[in-house]
Order: sequence, then C-alpha cells, then structure tokens
Amino acid sequence: MASRDEEFTMLFQEFYPSLCRFLECLLGGRVELAQDLAQESFLQLHRTAWGTLPDGEARFWLYRVARNFAINEFRKSHTRYRLFDRVVEAMSPKARNPEQEYETQERKELVLSMLRTLPEDQRVALLLREQEQLSYRDISQVLNVSEGKVKVDIFRARAALRERWAKRAKTVGAAG
Amino acid sequence: MQSEIRNSNSEILKSMNCDCTEKVSSLIDGELAPTEARELERHLISCVECQEARAAFLNLRSKISEFPADFNPVGQREALSRVLGKGGVVGSGLGWRWIFSPAAFAVASLLIVGTVIALLIYPRSKPTPVSSDEIASGPKKRSPTATPSPMASGVQKGTGSKQNNTAPKSSPSPSTDKNKVPNRKRAPLTFEPAQDNIASKQTGPNDTIAENNIGMNEPTRVRSADAETMTAIHFQKSELLLRSFRNVRLDKAGMSPELDYEKKLAQKLVYQNMMLRREADASGDTQVSSLLESLEPILLDIANLPDKARPSDVRTIRDRVERKNIVALLQVNSTALARALD
Repeated sequence: MASRDEEFTMLFQEFYPSLCRFLECLLGGRVELAQDLAQESFLQLHRTAWGTLPDGEARFWLYRVARNFAINEFRKSHTRYRLFDRVVEAMSPKARNPEQEYETQERKELVLSMLRTLPEDQRVALLLREQEQLSYRDISQVLNVSEGKVKVDIFRARAALRERWAKRAKTVGAAG
Repeated sequence: MQSEIRNSNSEILKSMNCDCTEKVSSLIDGELAPTEARELERHLISCVECQEARAAFLNLRSKISEFPADFNPVGQREALSRVLGKGGVVGSGLGWRWIFSPAAFAVASLLIVGTVIALLIYPRSKPTPVSSDEIASGPKKRSPTATPSPMASGVQKGTGSKQNNTAPKSSPSPSTDKNKVPNRKRAPLTFEPAQDNIASKQTGPNDTIAENNIGMNEPTRVRSADAETMTAIHFQKSELLLRSFRNVRLDKAGMSPELDYEKKLAQKLVYQNMMLRREADASGDTQVSSLLESLEPILLDIANLPDKARPSDVRTIRDRVERKNIVALLQVNSTALARALD
C-alpha cells in the first residue's frame, strides 16, 4: 500500500502540469507566477488538508485553492512588481528556432487575450470545463456555485469568445 | 471593467436568435439528458444557427484545450521536493521577505552582471543551426526554469515550451535540407466554424480532429494529395513508434538496445513532423496541424532521451501519450486520410 507521501507524489505528478496551465490561463500568461501558485496550492494541501479529504476531493480542493490564490494575485498585482521574474525572464535561454517559438507564442497570446476579455467567473468555469474536462457538477463544487450558474457562465463565455473570434477573423481578413 | 465586459456579452447574446443555442453548449459537454439530446440533435439538422454555434464551440474547445501545458520533468521534480521537503520555500508566499534576503541579493547581482554580459555578447553572436546529433543527445543540462510546452491536445501540459526549442532550425545534413520551408505567409489564426464540424455528429471532447476528417474529401480542401499521403504515412509510422515505445520493458536491465530503435525513429520522424506541420499550417488544415503539433513534443522527448534513460523518464512520456490519447487520434486520422485518398 502506498504511503501518504507516495500518494501525494502521484497526485502531484498527475495534476501539477494541468494546475499550472489553468493558473497560467487565469492569470493571463504569467508562467512563473502560475508555477509559484500551483506549488503554493500543493503545499497548502500537504500541510493542511491531505489525508482529511474524501477520495477524489483533493483535485477539487486544489483548483478551489489555486483559484483563490489567483484572485489574491489579481488584487495584489497593481502594487507588486516582480523584479526577480523579470530578471529571470531576461536571462532565460532564447529560442533555438525563433520562427517556431514565435508561432507557438502567438497562438498562446491569442488564446490568452481572448480569455482576458471574459469576466473572471466565466473564465474559470470555461477553463475547468475545456482544459480539465470537469463536469458541471464538479465545477459547481470547485467554485461553490449552483450547476445552473456554471451552465450559464460556460455558455456565455463561449458565445462571447465566438463573437470576438469572428470579429478578429474579419479584421485579419480585411487587413490581409 | 468587469461590468463593461458583461454588458458587451449580453449584447452578444441578444444577437442570437435561436433559443436552443444555449442547449447546444450543454450538448457538446454531454450535460443533456438522453431524450433532450436526441431532440436537439433533430433540431440541429434543420437549424443553421445552431449548427454554426456547435461548430464554433467545438473549435473553441480545441483552441483552449490545445493551450500548451507546462511539462518539465526536472522542474516538476524540484517543485515536488520543495513542496514535500521544505514546506514553505515556494511561491508567492515568500513575497518581499525572500526578495530582500542576502541570498536573493547575491543571485540578483549575479543575474544583473550576467544580463549585462549577455547583452554585450548577444548582438555579435549569430544563431547556429542545431545538428541532428544534438537532438539525439539532448540537452546536456536542463535548466530548472525551463518550461517545455507541447501544443498538445488531449493535452496535458505534457511538454514545455522549451522542448519545442530543441527543434532544429535547419540541418546541415543533406537529408534534412528538404525540411527547409521557404518563408511563406502563415494563414491567420482564425476562429471560423469549420464546415466539417457542422455536418458532424456530437462526440466527446477529444473527437474534434476525427470529426473534421469526415469531410476531408470535400472539394474545399487545399492540401495536395502528395502531402496528405505523406501525412497518412507519417501518422502510421508515428503510431507504430508510440505503440512500440509503450511496449518497452522497463524492468529489464540495460534497456538501451530497445530504446535505440525508438530514439532513431523518433529523430527521423521529428523532421518530417515539422515539415508536414508547416505544410498543414500553410494550407490552413488546422486539425492535421494541431495533431502534428501535439505529436511533435512527444517525438522530441523520445529523440532526446539519454542513452541510459531512467524508467521514470520513459514512464513520464508514456503517461503523456496516454493522457493525450494520441495513439488513437493517429490511428483515426491516418485511416481517415487514407480513405480520403482512395
């Protein structure tokens, strides 16, 4: 039988990358911060809730805590300047294939810029659905709202993104 | 700001005429009761607006789910050891306290000096091509801050953006010269509903690519038959490689002979994958391009495995392959392409 730490390691390995991605999308592309907050969420889980949660609850707990951390960051971000992140970014190795890197970055930026146009609750619900493939019920548990609200939020987010993407396509088409 | 966004969203909703559009959103999430889903499927046959909404929502799904997840085994291990070991030496919780510590000052000073040196040297240096040997041997030392990123879709952050960076810009060997693609204007990244999606039936979240292949032999396709043939063959080879990789025995001592084959094959396929992906991008075949993009970091990871790979490295890649369900996607796509070409 796996020990407590082994179980935690398995959970970490399974969900850490997707939690980072979720936070990155939520925070508008701040990769370093997303990783920090993902680790902070796991740390909280390990310190406080690990072993006390019912089976299958840890994932929801993590997303809930991670989202709260992200909201705190939104509030703080106006006054906080992450010098260290900037320096690390400046020192990070450059892409070996600039063209490919540029394309990947462009796609990411496009998705992030579209997601940024959504209200936070719609963005979270949509990300949990599309990236984490949670059901409406699971999302309602994570966000502590009704399933009805989740359903409406996801639909509104999709409708808004569809419209904006279509507008963008027209603009790009007209320019090209 | 948020209220402005909400107002603009409600205007968007008013522009939708059919009352069923909201249900379409639930339908693609599999959240409708069976009877309701059947009714809506019937409605979809006759309602163009709902068909378009469905196609657009599915495309949106693929865009968001393809967002590359950050996967860096080394960084992840370090993160885990920080969480398990030190308890508290991570993340934003450190805040200014950490930034003002003597160690941070030392690191920052080093980084600033390094930045200045790098800025002085960088303009003089020219980008050097990466040889296939480098891909084979992999990075000598991975940076802990490296954040590999696959554009993958089943899509865990299976790979990090830096993994893509190991892709060769060009290769000095003659066999890879054909991979050089002239600077073509890329098709704009748009989000228009694909015709293929409109006609397709409802499927699970990972079936979008397969769905879109149903209409591949329609007159609107712009990719050449040669490219499609090569893509189909490439998918088959990649599928075989991944199956073979999945079957590598990890409990056997000295597994390098078995992995040698996989690594060499992955190195060959990486080049072809890049070429075909660019071709698919240029011709606007986003579904094939997206699958190739998911595949690329996996091929790179296999190609970059060290000579004496650890079982955990192999397992990590395998897990990602499983998560992305990529073997099945390759099989479906190669079959669909082959049928379209018949």
